[in-house]
Amino acid sequence: MNGAELLSEAGWSVGSIWLVILVAGALTYLTRFGGHILISLLGTIPPRASAALDAVPAAVMTAIVAPVLVSGDWPERVAIVVCVILSLRLPLIAVVVIGTAMVAGARALGW
Amino acid sequence: MAAIRALAPVFLAVLPFGLVYGAVAVQEGLTVLQALGFSATIFAGASQLAALQLMGIGAPLWSVLLTVFALNFRHVLYSASLSRHLGTFSGPQKALAFFLLVDPLFGAAEARAAKRRLTPAFYLTYGILMYLGWQLATLAGASFGELIEDPEAFGLDFVLPVYFLGLVMGFRKRGLFYPVAGTSLAVSVVVYWLAGPPWHVSFGGLAGIAVAAVIGPQKRADAAIGEDRAGGAA
Repeated sequence: MNGAELLSEAGWSVGSIWLVILVAGALTYLTRFGGHILISLLGTIPPRASAALDAVPAAVMTAIVAPVLVSGDWPERVAIVVCVILSLRLPLIAVVVIGTAMVAGARALGW
Repeated sequence: MAAIRALAPVFLAVLPFGLVYGAVAVQEGLTVLQALGFSATIFAGASQLAALQLMGIGAPLWSVLLTVFALNFRHVLYSASLSRHLGTFSGPQKALAFFLLVDPLFGAAEARAAKRRLTPAFYLTYGILMYLGWQLATLAGASFGELIEDPEAFGLDFVLPVYFLGLVMGFRKRGLFYPVAGTSLAVSVVVYWLAGPPWHVSFGGLAGIAVAAVIGPQKRADAAIGEDRAGGAA
């Protein structure tokens, strides 16, 4: 618990820590408007690029969820498949509540 | 109000993550102010934790910066797609909107834009509340250490995956949904195995987008938008 010295032992001065905070923040902001700048520079968006942009939400959100199928235990895997089926019918919030309750319940039972 | 309704389930997942980040940051030797500084400027949990980890092992400064940039590269994709929906935003509102652009907000904004016009009120309410929540959670975690003993016992680590899943399913009527999502799924899983998080998001996402670019534009774009309206995520 006496970690308060860890970073200074690793060679980080107060100034260098704040430098990381500011520059890393600026770099992150760059990624957050970078795509907008690219699209603005293109002017009109070619049809193929437009098709690619239309695919961004489905592509990245699928990529965010996918590891649950391999990194989780069986309760998570089963729950995510059940949630796919539920989301064909139920509103988003209901699916989130049911899915989370399933996983919490399975863990409480020690599955 | 729609923004608050959309945000409520996400808060359950994000706030404990902020607490954990705050607690870890102070244990690693950051002051409370520095821990807040990271949350205030970067506002992206995975890259904040990665930066801490690298700094703790004495990695050189440039490698910390490069890692944060690479981990956050997926936002380039988000802002490229989102920029088409910000027609009603003023210049300063756009600048703020991109600063606040985190994964759940991107998902919520795209789902919203598929059904109706994306307004600054919806987007900025969601984003600003999320930002304030992240700062408060960081502050609480940094101040009180391990406040949350085991968020996983309540399944809170599962909230975000299900949330994104629900948002994705709202796009299933679009022409290229199955080839795009199938490719992203496969590549994401493989990259997750090989390189670990959060690389799977950028690479899995890019793979699905590449498939859409290769197949090219679909003629029935208008019909697809109509179906989105009928079957979109709530």
